[in-house]
Amino acid sequence: MISSQPSSLLPTLFESIEEEERLTVLHIGNALPETVEFFSRYRCKLHFIDLFDDLSRLVTTQDSTISLHQVFIDLMHLPADTRFDLCLFWDLFNFLDQDAVAAMLQTLRPHLHGNTLAHAFAVHNLKTIQSGNLFGIRAMDQVTLRPRPAPLEGYKPCTQGQLEKSLTCFRIKRSVLLPQSRLELLLSARL
Amino acid sequence: MIGPTIKIKGEVSGDEDLLIQGQVEGTITLEAHEVVVGESGQVFADILAKTIKIDGKVNGDVTGTENVVISKLGNVRGNIVAPRVLLEDGAIFKGSIDMDPGDKAEKAAPQGAKEPAAFPSQENKAPRLDLKSG
Repeated sequence: MISSQPSSLLPTLFESIEEEERLTVLHIGNALPETVEFFSRYRCKLHFIDLFDDLSRLVTTQDSTISLHQVFIDLMHLPADTRFDLCLFWDLFNFLDQDAVAAMLQTLRPHLHGNTLAHAFAVHNLKTIQSGNLFGIRAMDQVTLRPRPAPLEGYKPCTQGQLEKSLTCFRIKRSVLLPQSRLELLLSARL
Repeated sequence: MIGPTIKIKGEVSGDEDLLIQGQVEGTITLEAHEVVVGESGQVFADILAKTIKIDGKVNGDVTGTENVVISKLGNVRGNIVAPRVLLEDGAIFKGSIDMDPGDKAEKAAPQGAKEPAAFPSQENKAPRLDLKSG
């Protein structure tokens, strides 16, 4: 069952991209058919990294001697010569604590440039329940939602204020309040 | 065809289409032809072909000079390079997809290279909250 949700911030990510422009995209989460189809109109390279699959490993790591930063290096396997123009985090930040966000961004930072833009979801109210969806893009202004087979463990809803403190290499440019007290965020790199 | 009970280790190349229902480990190069990894096929190899359809399991890099299709039964872990890529509903894919196989040199831009003109510098503006109806 696929549903869709309009997005007023996603178009900003794409508005200045010419179809002939090369584009490198980081997509956190499952590769969905509509996302691949959407990006096929661009000259682009899509990196799909499903960190949601590895959330349990992040919890285990907090009790071990391996640093969170090393765990993210191992999980993300980012090619040395890659710098992302767009990062689609979706609701990742609602599943990471502040230390994990910092470690993830420390890993990502060398792969950003001054004009990197990103998209993410946060919450307006900490009582907001988990969306339980996989996210994709069908159109420039439309996000697709597919229910996850089971809710993810480790849900830690994150407000805009909390996220602002954790975002070491991004700033929140704009946010939009969505139904169910969820927030859609547009981020720009701060290097 | 490589049948379901066949296991091959090494280089597979040739001048005809290939259906893989068995197991292949190594490399598969059929640049002018179609490779189909069938439902029972298990490939631990890089594949280079004109068109590639994956109904089985592939662990390796997949390069299609024309297109790559991962069907609803397909499971791919690796990097795909092809001008056209289709993921069917239910397909499992982990890795990267490069849909601009040309200009390889551009892609490997070193750290510190100039930023793309597509993204003009953003001003430092305070975040603002827009209330959206619905």
